[in-house]
Amino acid sequence: MNRRLIVALLIILVAAFSVAPAFAQDDLMGDFTVSHYFGGFGGEFIDGIVDDFIAANPGLMHAASPVDHEQFKTSILVQLAGGNPPDTFSYWAGARIQFVVDGGRLQPIDDIWEDNGMDAQFPQAVIDNAATYDMHRYAVPLTLHWVGMFYNVALFEEVGAMVPTNWDELVDVAEKFKMADIPAFALGSINRWPGQFWFDMILLRTAGNDYRNQLMSGEASYTDPEVVRAFGLWNDLVQAGYFYPDANAYDWDEAANQVANGEAAMTLMGTWIGGLYAGNEMTPGEDFDYFSFPTIDEDTPRASLGPIDTFVVSADAPNPDAAKAFLVYLTNPDVQAEFALGAGNLAPSLMVDTGIYNDVVARIAGEIANDPVFAFNYDLATPPPVAEVGLNSFSEFMANPGDYEAMLERVQADAAAEFAGME
Amino acid sequence: MLRRHPWITPASFLLLPLLVYFTFVILPTLNSLYYSFTDWVGYGADINFVGTANFEKIFTDRLFSNAIKNTAIWLALAMTAPTLLGLALALALQGKSLINTAYKSLFYLPICLSPIIIGIIWVWLYNPKLGIVNIFLRSIGQDHLATAWLANPHTALYSVFVAWAWQQTGLNMVIFLAGLTSVPTPLVEAAKVDGADYRQTLFKVIIPMLRPATVVVLALTAISALKSFEIIWVMTMGGPFNKSDTLAVFMYSESFRKFKMGYGSSAAVVLFLVTLVIIVLYFRFAAAAEELYD
Repeated sequence: MNRRLIVALLIILVAAFSVAPAFAQDDLMGDFTVSHYFGGFGGEFIDGIVDDFIAANPGLMHAASPVDHEQFKTSILVQLAGGNPPDTFSYWAGARIQFVVDGGRLQPIDDIWEDNGMDAQFPQAVIDNAATYDMHRYAVPLTLHWVGMFYNVALFEEVGAMVPTNWDELVDVAEKFKMADIPAFALGSINRWPGQFWFDMILLRTAGNDYRNQLMSGEASYTDPEVVRAFGLWNDLVQAGYFYPDANAYDWDEAANQVANGEAAMTLMGTWIGGLYAGNEMTPGEDFDYFSFPTIDEDTPRASLGPIDTFVVSADAPNPDAAKAFLVYLTNPDVQAEFALGAGNLAPSLMVDTGIYNDVVARIAGEIANDPVFAFNYDLATPPPVAEVGLNSFSEFMANPGDYEAMLERVQADAAAEFAGME
Repeated sequence: MLRRHPWITPASFLLLPLLVYFTFVILPTLNSLYYSFTDWVGYGADINFVGTANFEKIFTDRLFSNAIKNTAIWLALAMTAPTLLGLALALALQGKSLINTAYKSLFYLPICLSPIIIGIIWVWLYNPKLGIVNIFLRSIGQDHLATAWLANPHTALYSVFVAWAWQQTGLNMVIFLAGLTSVPTPLVEAAKVDGADYRQTLFKVIIPMLRPATVVVLALTAISALKSFEIIWVMTMGGPFNKSDTLAVFMYSESFRKFKMGYGSSAAVVLFLVTLVIIVLYFRFAAAAEELYD
């Protein structure tokens, strides 16, 4: 063989081995399937992460299956029921993981958790709430989202509105926008879940997290004064005409774009809105900004709200070794940072340098650190059958806000029946 | 051997399709029947026999009653609107001119599309701001009629139905066109010779002669209406707040959104029984129509 060719081949081999990440494992072989719900924003980044993992483990044959966010909620359970689960899949921490753990469809990852010292990599609250179920570790957190009010900076300046810090100020700001013939709040609840943030935030700011936990677990009633009051406050805003019309006709991204286009002033949404706005080439802090949902009752402890995306390992995973190696790979601070930056979210890992975030996300990280409680949003905090009842009620409320007390009677009856059916 | 048992050869040809039919139709049907007597959540090995509890509960379930009501409305509309429209189109386009052929192709086109595609198209047409439906209404000064068609609880079910009927009408038209070719021309001409005008010829000769085609149209439309799911799911997912839930959507929601496979299966059994009744009625009417022809 030509000597120069041999030298070139050696250089290529040395280069290849030198860039191979430490996560490469020679013994990882066979088919490896990853299923996730990051179809839109974040999809390309998670696919890139999976590709890097596969490149580092050439013995694996990868089959990725990104699924639409809404369809994933059903399709993954059909796969689990059908006995053909992916090796690993993304899943929402909280009641949804608990539901699947109860069904015996996930395997614990205590071994890799301990071997890789993950207790030191994540905040204790995240470990307790998002990773631990029935005293075992089941999920590796990948992204942390936070729900807040995202607003159009130019519109706020145009009407001379200041960022509100309490309920009265929020109503004043909304009234200012109404005077300017601009809907204050955009809500796109065609898929129901965006409506839950209004109920969640008002309930957290009035009745507090302890009461909310009781409601989510069926120990409190939807006809309690706390819930009636929360709907009453929400009703005041809807009846006053502060919301963009026909909330149930739009999706969350359409509502976000209504704010971006100046058709509405603000929207209560998760930090993933930053990924959408980045795609619109909007500058954080200049074109859009955020504020934490205003205080309603001074003596109610503050709480942050949002979902945490995790990856879990199927109980019947055909290639559990590869799945667990992938979960370990996801704890790499570079991987966590890459995904957080791509999707506009926060990385749950303590090892990620917070200096990577833009100004808005960095301030949000501070909000989370300051709030004593991090609560999961409604459909991740209460069991899925009950969440179905509640999510429908939020849509009904937006269509017929005035009838909420009669609606809550029905919600309580349906929720009680669902809780009873789970016993 | 073959001479003594001549049925062996045809039976062997039928074996494979029968196996496929058993595996993909009979077996899942029996499985659903079994699950309807259990509390299975849809995954996991924990399956408990609950007797007739699911059926006792389903008939007191507010959402099931709502789904039954919506299915009845859907079925009633399905039996009339696309049937009459299909018949009208078939009568208008039964000639063999180029323009008739072009129109027939246009009206048949929706049949070639998946209900998912139809649903997506109509979601855009119904968009409150950019949809052509509201743009048209505003352009003719009827702004007060413009609404969020799929989000308005009073219009959602009917709006989805229009999209479904748009597809179904083309199929009905084709069946009626086939039926019209079997109407004896001498009979129509004899009616004209006897002084019958078009209206009399239509109602006294053509429509009675179309009875076999009408039975087929009504039966196929009823079955299609009862199992219509995809287009509803794509357009509203049964919403807003269950206002466009039909039996098929209820069955899916209970099984896969609330993870109550046993309960959802009991809805599937009810849907199966309703469809079975319609199929039996279809065969009875079809037999009667054939007797009329004979």
